[in-house]
Amino acid sequence: MYKKMFEIRRFEEKVFELYAQNLVPGTIHLYAGEEAIAVGVCSNLRKDDYITSTHRGHGHCIAKGAELKRIMAEILGKKTGYCKGKGGSMHIADFNVGMLGATAVVGAGLPIAVGAGLSIKLRGTDNVVACFFGDGASNQGTFHEAINMAAIWKLPVIFVCENNVYAMGTRQSTVMLVENIADRAIAYGIPGVAVDGNNVLTVYEAAQKAVERARTGQGPTLIECKTYRHKGHSRIDPAKYRPKEEVEEWLRKDPIKRFKEKLLQPNTLLETEIRQIEKEVLTKIEEAVKFAIESPHPFAEEALEDVYA
Amino acid sequence: MRKITYKEALREALREEMRRDPTVFLLGEDIGRYWGGAFKVTKGLVEEFGDERVRDTPISESAIIGAAVGAAITGTRPVAEIMFGDLTALAMDQIANQAAKIHYMFGGQVKVPLVIRTPFGAGVNIAAHHSQSLEAWFMHVPGLYVAVPSTPYDAKGLLKTAIRGSNPVFFCEHKLLYPMEGAVPEDEYTVPFGVADVKRKGSDVTIVATLYMVHEALSVAKGLEAEGISVEVVDPRTLAPLDKHTIISSVKKTGRLVVVSEDCKTAGVSAEIAATVAEEAIDYLDAPIKRVAEPDTPIPFSPPLEQYVIPNEKSIIKAVREIA
Amino acid sequence: MVTKVVMPRLSLTMKEGTVGTWYKKEGDIVEKGEPLVEVFSEKATYDLEAPASGVLRKILVQENDEASVDAILAVITAPDEAFQEAEISVEMPKATEETKKRVLASPAAKRLAREHEIDLSLVKGSGREGRIVEEDVRRFIDEARGILPKVKEVIPLSGYRKTSAERVSTSFRTAPHSTVVMEVDVSKVMALHYKTEVSYTAILMKAVAESLAEYSVINSTLEGNAIRIFEDVNVGVAVATEDGLVVPVIHNADKKALEEIDAAIRELTEKAKQGKLTREDLTGGTFTITNLGMYGVEFFIAIINPPEAAILAVGGVVEKPVVVHGNIEIKPMMMLSLSYDHRIVDGAPAAEFLQKVKEKIEKSLEIEG
Repeated sequence: MYKKMFEIRRFEEKVFELYAQNLVPGTIHLYAGEEAIAVGVCSNLRKDDYITSTHRGHGHCIAKGAELKRIMAEILGKKTGYCKGKGGSMHIADFNVGMLGATAVVGAGLPIAVGAGLSIKLRGTDNVVACFFGDGASNQGTFHEAINMAAIWKLPVIFVCENNVYAMGTRQSTVMLVENIADRAIAYGIPGVAVDGNNVLTVYEAAQKAVERARTGQGPTLIECKTYRHKGHSRIDPAKYRPKEEVEEWLRKDPIKRFKEKLLQPNTLLETEIRQIEKEVLTKIEEAVKFAIESPHPFAEEALEDVYA
Repeated sequence: MRKITYKEALREALREEMRRDPTVFLLGEDIGRYWGGAFKVTKGLVEEFGDERVRDTPISESAIIGAAVGAAITGTRPVAEIMFGDLTALAMDQIANQAAKIHYMFGGQVKVPLVIRTPFGAGVNIAAHHSQSLEAWFMHVPGLYVAVPSTPYDAKGLLKTAIRGSNPVFFCEHKLLYPMEGAVPEDEYTVPFGVADVKRKGSDVTIVATLYMVHEALSVAKGLEAEGISVEVVDPRTLAPLDKHTIISSVKKTGRLVVVSEDCKTAGVSAEIAATVAEEAIDYLDAPIKRVAEPDTPIPFSPPLEQYVIPNEKSIIKAVREIA
Repeated sequence: MVTKVVMPRLSLTMKEGTVGTWYKKEGDIVEKGEPLVEVFSEKATYDLEAPASGVLRKILVQENDEASVDAILAVITAPDEAFQEAEISVEMPKATEETKKRVLASPAAKRLAREHEIDLSLVKGSGREGRIVEEDVRRFIDEARGILPKVKEVIPLSGYRKTSAERVSTSFRTAPHSTVVMEVDVSKVMALHYKTEVSYTAILMKAVAESLAEYSVINSTLEGNAIRIFEDVNVGVAVATEDGLVVPVIHNADKKALEEIDAAIRELTEKAKQGKLTREDLTGGTFTITNLGMYGVEFFIAIINPPEAAILAVGGVVEKPVVVHGNIEIKPMMMLSLSYDHRIVDGAPAAEFLQKVKEKIEKSLEIEG
């Protein structure tokens, strides 16, 4: 799990770097700071389980096992990317690892996850779906519609709310009166738990229970993971709306730092082992960057392909 | 050949496809055990296929389509029903941004074999929220196919093609067509997309019409025959893909075009077809293109008001006479 | 008083014209009505007359310059009248490139014209507001190639012409025509004609009417699956008028005296030529006689006047050598052809009827009795 989290963090830092060099078209929404959630949840999933993701989706892709180089190539708009350059940072999918795709419409992924759950049920497999979304999405109608639907049909869906306090620049407390989004689960008659989203082990445990419930036909669970994005909403956002003290406090709660500290406790991992892991990750990321940069852009006319299957 | 109604033809298509392919299932509001669909299209299917495959849903249009999308990209073939076409507005993100774009946006990795059935059309006095014809909205979304069957034969054949296909299909039905009877063979058949049907041959004027308007156009053609005006009626059957070839061939023959569609005139179905002909076959036009469509108003309630806005034989004849 | 001289509209489509010679200079005295300036349009040259008497005070458009219709070309004032140019809103003439008349034509017509390198301004339009449509160009091409004859004038079918067009085509389409022909000796008819001054047609009609009364199967019509044989013998006679063919009817001709028939024919023919035939005059015929003898026609076959069963076509009188009892004699002869509806009448009865007509004609003097 540490490796994955570290991989996400370094990957995002690299994307940020490439963006500064104008190698990344458009905008980017970095997952840095929220790694514990994707990793904590996906570590409970099998390859043939599904996830749905959001505009802040690089971390979900990596956690679910997508290839770094193809993610990076997609972010750079290259032909070798997962979506042949048609999706970009906000629209990556890898159906080979059950990553059903990121949607850049806030809240749009929830009903799709429900559909995947329905499909699992109809086809009679024991797969599950983890549906990632933010605190902002929990105010969309789809949140209500989807969770209710999954609840009444007892679908194998784990709704994972990444509450990073801000929906763009809007503080959660200004747009909802409940403190815990997890409390909303009561309305749909399903379990709802709020956990420290910066503690990968807590997330893992919560997800483990939810996945178990889902796999055994007991229906969905809503897990709210309290977290914080290290950067602004997107690349262009300096996030001046966040008080300095708040940012500093959350940086102290950096999930990777905390997990590393835990791992370094006696009887777990040696510092050298961690260094080794980190070194491997860095090499892998460099390879991904090299691959992405060296990959060709798609031909312009390819814009007309893939509209219909 | 035996005759069955449009509604029965649709039901047969659903039944046959559900028998043929266990991954086909239906979902929608009140389509199942208690009601059989607001227009009874799915009536009786729950008895054969059970509640799991003929699934009543909460009143959550967005989630209905979203769930259908999610199910479609994970190995099943959902057929979602939205009770009235107007209510597709509630599910527009899932239709236009998700269903239509997933194949493209993800670089062709996944297919979205999804059918959204919904009735359009005015004429039954249920006013502005249950009477519109919004085909043009969906024609405007790349990635969607749009079917507009006007007869029981086409309804069954097109629906089967839609269900077996690899793309999201927006399947437009029409309230006034449900009870209409027509010849439908007992034997298996499908109707391909993108192939217009010349519903009547003629040589003086081409009328391109869709859905219920096909029947109005056919009556007009019959009436004008006595006056020596020979009208060809072309039914595109699918608006996306649009069979430009058949429409243009007909215009090349007649030199005159009237487009009849029940949606609002501005930026509507008729606008697209008229523009296509103007762009690709203007040299064959011997008279201005005429459009017969609804005026740009919501559908009013009171019968005289409603009848005033719906295109009818009279307004079609007027348009034909202006150019023939 | 300041009078403006403006560019006149010389044709309905004229938008601008060209100024030619000014017959007067600035400062000249002009009389109302005298030629002042020459103007040209595409179609015509015209001397524009002075609209008022006075002094030609100012010429605003010079020779060979163009001016749009209604543009002020010059100003005429009283001799001592003060005049400032600012008083008139001088719409300075604009010479435009687009002097050619816009030809209204449908896109299809334009395409066809382009393909055949045809100048559309030569094509006459038959569409809305004179718009040229594809068919006009097609016709123009065919005419130019000589495939189609050039059309001199188009006369819409109307009145008698329209009715007769419909009737002959109905007849020809529905009644299978067959014809029997006989030549008759009209010596006695001529004798009778000269003696009584009754027209040949009247004598023929009398002979025909009496024969019809005897052979009533010819005096009939086919209605559905039944032949209706008429009791009345109403014989029509085809009359050519400027507006087309009409067939006024002599009712009960078999019961009328020769003079009565003659008088009736004369009256109806006159009415026909004046277009004054009444509905009664034109209705109820059971048989028709048509005669082209006066045009030098010796023999022709007519189309039955529906819904009648037969028609008699009468040729002109020609003197011919005829063998009589082994000697050649010269006799006035006439060809009769009886066209009959083969659905109603077979060859033999038709021949018998014609035989009877022949017999009566050849014994014309008996008719008189």
